[in-house]
Order: sequence, then structure tokens, then C-alpha cells
Amino acid sequence: MFEYIVRRLWQTIPTLLGVVLLVFFLFTWVGGDPAYLLAGKISNPEQIENIRRQLGVDQPIHAQLWIFIKQIATGDFGVSWATNEQVSDIFLTRLGPSLTVLVPLLVVDTVLAIAAAMLVAYVRGSVTDRVVMITCTVGQSISILVYIIVFQYLLAYRLGWFPVQGWGNGFAENLLTYSLLPIIVGVIVSLAPDTRLYRTFFLDEINQDYVRTARAKGLSETRVIWVHVMRNASIPIITNVMIQLPGLLVGAFLIERFFSIPGIGREVLLAVERSDFPVIKAVTIYVAIATMITNLLADLLYKAVDPRVQLK
Amino acid sequence: MKLGVLRSAAISILVAITLHAASEAADRSKTLHVTFQVAETGFDPTRTSDYYSGQVIEAIFERLLTYDYLARPAKLVPSTAESLPEITDHAKTYTFKVRKGIYFTPDPAFKGKRRELTAEDYAYSIKRFFDPKNRSPYAFLYEGKIVGLDELGAKARKTGRFDYDAAVPGLEVPDRYTLRIHLREPDYGFAHIIAFDLSGAVAREVIEAYGEDTNAHPIGTGPYRLKQYVRSSKIVLEANPDYRGMVWDFQPGGDPADREIVAQMKGKKLPVIGNVEISIVEETQSRWLAFEKGETDMEYQLWDLSPTFMAEDGRLRPRFANRGIKLGRSVDPEITYLYFNMLDKIGDKPNPVGGYGREKIALRRAIAMAYKIDDQIRVIRKGQAIKAEFPIPPGIAGHDPAYKSSIRYDPKTANALLDRFGYKKGPDGYRRLPDGKELVIRFSSTPTEIARQGDELIKRSLDSIGIRLEIHKERFPDLIKLERRCRLMMRGASWIADTPDGDNFMQLLYGPNTFQSNNACYKSAVFDRLYEKSRTMPDGPERNRLYRQMTRQMEADTPWLLIDSRYRNMLMQPYVIGFKKHPVLHQEWMYIDFDSKAKR
Repeated sequence: MFEYIVRRLWQTIPTLLGVVLLVFFLFTWVGGDPAYLLAGKISNPEQIENIRRQLGVDQPIHAQLWIFIKQIATGDFGVSWATNEQVSDIFLTRLGPSLTVLVPLLVVDTVLAIAAAMLVAYVRGSVTDRVVMITCTVGQSISILVYIIVFQYLLAYRLGWFPVQGWGNGFAENLLTYSLLPIIVGVIVSLAPDTRLYRTFFLDEINQDYVRTARAKGLSETRVIWVHVMRNASIPIITNVMIQLPGLLVGAFLIERFFSIPGIGREVLLAVERSDFPVIKAVTIYVAIATMITNLLADLLYKAVDPRVQLK
Repeated sequence: MKLGVLRSAAISILVAITLHAASEAADRSKTLHVTFQVAETGFDPTRTSDYYSGQVIEAIFERLLTYDYLARPAKLVPSTAESLPEITDHAKTYTFKVRKGIYFTPDPAFKGKRRELTAEDYAYSIKRFFDPKNRSPYAFLYEGKIVGLDELGAKARKTGRFDYDAAVPGLEVPDRYTLRIHLREPDYGFAHIIAFDLSGAVAREVIEAYGEDTNAHPIGTGPYRLKQYVRSSKIVLEANPDYRGMVWDFQPGGDPADREIVAQMKGKKLPVIGNVEISIVEETQSRWLAFEKGETDMEYQLWDLSPTFMAEDGRLRPRFANRGIKLGRSVDPEITYLYFNMLDKIGDKPNPVGGYGREKIALRRAIAMAYKIDDQIRVIRKGQAIKAEFPIPPGIAGHDPAYKSSIRYDPKTANALLDRFGYKKGPDGYRRLPDGKELVIRFSSTPTEIARQGDELIKRSLDSIGIRLEIHKERFPDLIKLERRCRLMMRGASWIADTPDGDNFMQLLYGPNTFQSNNACYKSAVFDRLYEKSRTMPDGPERNRLYRQMTRQMEADTPWLLIDSRYRNMLMQPYVIGFKKHPVLHQEWMYIDFDSKAKR
């Protein structure tokens, strides 16, 4: 196991290097020159040159790449070009609000989707199954923007159950007052596709020979479904959940923006609008690293869930 | 000895009582909730340039001069200065006397001592615009004006260090409370730069203590101080207990609404509102619902939704008026315009719209005459703009309300003009250049929804006169870069007043400002001569006459087509009183109040 982990971590280095090169050249050649934006309404060539020098974008490409690699190695991405705030501070202060919304959202969505999928898979072909599937298909076809606008209007403005937008000062206040509506919207948006997906995982297992054998042995339906089927369907479910984990780092752009949640997703949008490359580059690298780590964790979880899985 | 101690104690108590009385002016139970639709960048006056940061900066830092709240056009009044400056030497020397007994809000940088505002603070604050380390976006306001300051900035760019202790001949501080500024050339509008919101005084100790993070530590002398700051999310200001206070005593102007404001506010100690809570809310729907639900007290960033709450005549719809919602309406001190690149070539390629030959002027004129500004105001602005006739908008010194542009919407005449100057239509229905070569106008814009609507209007206009249009899309930073290099053929642009003086607008067409603010790269000897003359004159009929001549010259050459100036529609809850949008001040928080009865 230890050797496997070390080998997998070792393999992340060339992958990360590829990401670094891709990000660097993409931003260097496509990103444009931020100096003109930072220079303000009126500027002269001397000022533009001064800004370029301070940002380091006047240096040769290889020197800029080396600085970028050093930033990744030290975890110090410098300061935001727009606000002079330390990039690391941006992440530290914005991660909390993003996680306050997205962790409960992911947990609630996963639990509900598994329960719903299990139910409809068990009664496959029934009216319940068809109604749930049609509802999921319709629900999945509607844009998240529509959900946000309608729910914000109905639940927050018309019924007054939640604030329209905002963010408080304490964790409890934020979770119980300001996050509830964004979580509800997020769960409803995610529930439909996840239920459909997990249903197919359960159906694949329910029709397997070992299920028939277990029933023939006289095991209760509860044990058949919750122990045998569930364990075998867990691997693709774990894969799906783990894929979503790096997304917690970048937040949910639209939800954060509409509900004024000071999370990372909103900050990334802002950074793109301002051509604030230190922030954008840091986000990209963090997400790449998080993706590689969660992939490794997923593999380890496979082994924990199903001992037949061999880690090579 | 004992008597001395007693006297000191008595004085201390008196000072404390006076300060307490000043702090009592603000009602801590009153919190004004407002929104910004774009996140601030920070509150260091030298390092920021965005409008939203400017609002907070204006509430925290004080300039020597400010503006009378009700007077229109904007009228300068002393702020931390004892009086308006003494202007001598044909407007080349400005002398300011700083009022004694004004203090910065306490900060650890002051090491427990009370820190009085002095003339040296203003000299230091002006110098900061020239420190290359600050990359000040508003350095242009002071560039080329103060004797010796540009040289100090140039030296710093070479050495990498700005010497704040170096003597600057143009920034003289003869005593603790006197600041004398010597200008290179006469400039009657310089007092407006001193009154600009980013010209507030910072304390050197604070700036040095916080190094690169001065954006998050604004320490000023103004009516408010920063209480809580969650970047890009929430900014909470509270009334500054050390603020010296002032009494609301403004005279009504010509606007009938002024009398009601005076009746509501006269004699109140300012600021009345104890706290200002600002939330960053980017989405229009969220801002609108928050206002409708009463989560915010004032809201103006609702252009898209204006037909929802406002009738075509500019009045509130009955369902809002009946609830007591108020609407404050004013025209922003800005212009929008379409410009043509006036250079003969863009890079090494011929520029069909550039140059000063008669056929080039005819082409630009025809395009300008084919553009239906009324459609832009109706479709894109949703009726929330007025047509701009003059390059200086209403509310700005030099504006001429009677002036009518000589360029009118007339596609028939535009077609005739093109026919006359040899722009003949080919078999495909599109016109060719007089030499028979293909004619394509390249219009640049950003990839946004609102820009796409503008593209369609331009396309329709040019189709109506048989000119082929090519839309060139670039991200905003790239467009600015190309613009500053005179590499764009045609684009829409806008300019909002930095100071309420016509020069701030007329400089946009001054030849030597090419590659800077003159985005049309326009160079007219006649215009430049008139402009240079206007710069040496104070605001008045003589300068206004020159502005009219310059505008006619601009129209004759047609580097621009003036489009419009947008309305600002401030919605207020029924209990908000005393509000009137000022054309130059960024916010009016310290001048307004809540009607407690109406709020209940």
C-alpha cells in the first residue's frame, strides 16, 4: 500500500509539470497584457513600462516560467495585481464560505441521490420509477440560472423564508441563515442527474447473478440491497463523488455570485474580469493538485470498500 | 504648579466634551445599507482608480477642498482648508491654509499619540502619485503640473527609490498649516484636482507601517472610518468619533426639490447616519429583490430594470410611488461617443476612415449621420439617457445647454454624400473606396451582451448606407492596449468626469494626448491652438466661446460622433431623506438621514 501511494505521488510530478506548462503558456500568450488595464484612464508608455517591470511581465519567457515554478514550489503566488492582497490570503479567507455551502450541499445531495436511486432501481419499471425518471430528466434540462432566479424570487423575496442575499460574521449564522437557500438550490440542481446516474449503477448490480443467489439463499431484501448491492455499486458512486471534490475548491460561481457569498468561485470570476493572473494561475494549480490527490484517495477508497480490488 | 495641572485637566475635559459632542452627532442606531455592483479594489487613494473604492475613500479621507452639496453646477468649498485657496501669479501659485485641530483616527502606527493633520500630509500625499512603486492610475491628474515633481518621479524610476524627503520646489510647506503649490503653467482648474476624491490626506506613518497592504488600512480624518472589511464582500463604516463634525447648512438652488431637502436637514450635525454597510452584489436581480424586500435602503444600479419601476416620462410607476419609494434622477457627468482612428495608416495598412482629406471627412460624416442615436437610447439604454450634443456634459463647467450638434441623423444625405465623393456601390450592394478598392470598416468591441447590441446597431446603420462592417472582438484589456497604440479603426468609448471642469473632457481631443487619452488619435492644429488657449483661462464666457469653436472644429473633422449621457436613477426607501445626487461627489452618505417616523 505504502509503495503504491509513493508511486502514485511520484507519477503526479510529470502530470503537474504538464499542467504548469499548459497554464503558463496559455496565460502568457492568450491572457493579454494587464499593464494597460492597471494603468488607469490615462497613461503614457513610461508608466506602462514601469508597471510591466513591477509585474515581471517584461522578463524573458524562461525567466517568467522559472518564477512561476518557484511560486508553485513555495506555495507563494505573490500578491493580486488588482488589490495587492496576498494570493494565499485570498484562498484562506474565501475557502471557508465556499465550503460552508458546498460541503453540506455535497453531503445532502449524495445521501438523497443514493436513497432515491436505490428506491427507483428497486421498483424499476413501476409508475414511481417512471415519474421519478421523467422528473429528473425535466429537472436536469433546466439551467441552474433558472433555479436560482425562481427560488430566490419565490422563497426569499415572495415568501420571505430566507434573505435574498448576504453573508454574516459567524459560522452558525452563515450556515443556518445565509447558506440554506443556496444549498437547497444546489441540491435540487445536482439531485436529478445524480439520481439518474446512481440508478444505473444500482440496476447494473441488481441484475447480477450474486443478487439472485443471495435471494435464493433466503437473505432478507434489506440485506441484499443495503449490503450486497450497495457495496458493489459504491465504487462508481465513490468515483462520482470524488470527481466533485476538487470543485469545492473553486466554489459554485453562479450560486456564490447571486447570493453574494464571498467564496472562491466569485473570486475567480472577479480575477478573470480583472485579468488578475496570479489569482487565476494559483486557482488552476490548486485545482490540478486537488484533482490528482482526490483521484489517489478514490483508488484507496475502492480498496477499503471492496477488498477484491488490487492496487498495483 | 497645582494651578497648571488643574488648568490642563480642565482643558482636557473640555476637549473630551467637545469631541464627545461631535461624535454624538451620529446616531449609532441608524445603519444605511447600500450595495456595490462591482467589488472594490482597496482604499489607498493613490493605488486605486475604481468608482466603488472611490466612494469609501471619499468617506474616510478628506481633501483640502470639497463641493457644496446642493449648488449646481458644482461649487468648490473649503473642507480641511480654512478657506478657498489664495490664487496668485496668474493661477500659477495656490496657497492653502489647513485648519488646526483636525486629527487622524487613532491607529497603532501613531504609537498612542494623537496625530494632527498638517500641510505636510497633503504634500506627502501628492508626492505619492509619483512614486513608481504605487503604480498610481490617477497620476495623470498631477503630471506636468507641479514644479519639480515630475523630475522627482523620473529620478525614482531610474534609481528604484522615491525620495519623499527631497525638496520639491513646487510643493512648499512654509509652516505646519500652510501648503503652497507652484505650477509650471497657469491652471485655473487646479483647485478641482485638489478637491478630487483621491487627493485626500494620508499619514506617512500609516503608509510606511502597512507597506504593501495600505489598501486595507485606510486611516483618515473624514466623517467615517472603516469598521469591518471582508474584501470583495462587505465593507462596514462607522461614524468617526474623532470627526470634528459640521452642520448641515446648504442653500437651495434652482431645483424645487432643494427646498424640501433644506427643510428636512438644515441644522443637523453631520454625519447623522451612524453606520454604512456596503454589500458587494454583482447580480441585478439580487440587488433589485434586496431593495424591494427592504434589505437595502438605496439602489441605483438597476439600468436593466428601469422599465419595471419607471414610466417613459421618468416618473416612478404608481405601485412604487404609492408605497412611498422615492426616485432621485440625474444625468451622470459623462459622455459616450463613437470614435474613428484619424491616422492615415493602422500599423502598415491603409486606414479607410483616417486622414483629413475631403473624401475621408465625407466618409466619417456619412457614417456618423447614418447612426440613429435615438435607437441606441431606446434599445440599449432603455430610455435612460439623453442625447449628447456637446463634448462637455451637463453639470460640468463649460457645458452649453443651447448647443446643437451639426451632425444629425440623416441617412439619405449620408448616401448622397458618399455618392458625391466617389464611394460607388459594387454589384454586391456595398460601396467601394473612390479608387475602386474594397471598403470595410472594422469596428472593435468586447464580447459582452451589451456590446453585441451595439454591434447590431452599427451594422444596421452602415448597411443603410451600403458600407460593409466587420466586427472585431477583443477582451477589454487587449482593446485598451490596441487603442493606446492607435491600432483600432473604430470603437465606442465613454468618459466620466474626474473633475467638474470642461477641460477634463476637451483634453480627450488634444493632439499631444495621442497614445494616452486621445483615443481617436485626432490632431488638428486649429483645435490644439484653441485648446492651449483655453487652458490658460478661468471658467467663464470667454472660455466657453473657445469650447464652442473647438466643438465645431471637431464636428468639421468628425473624429467623434457624440452619443449620449446616461441617467442615474437612485431608488430610495420612503424613510431616506436629504438625498440629492451630486455630479462630482461619489457618495452622499454623510449628508442624508432617516426619517424615524417613516421608518417605523
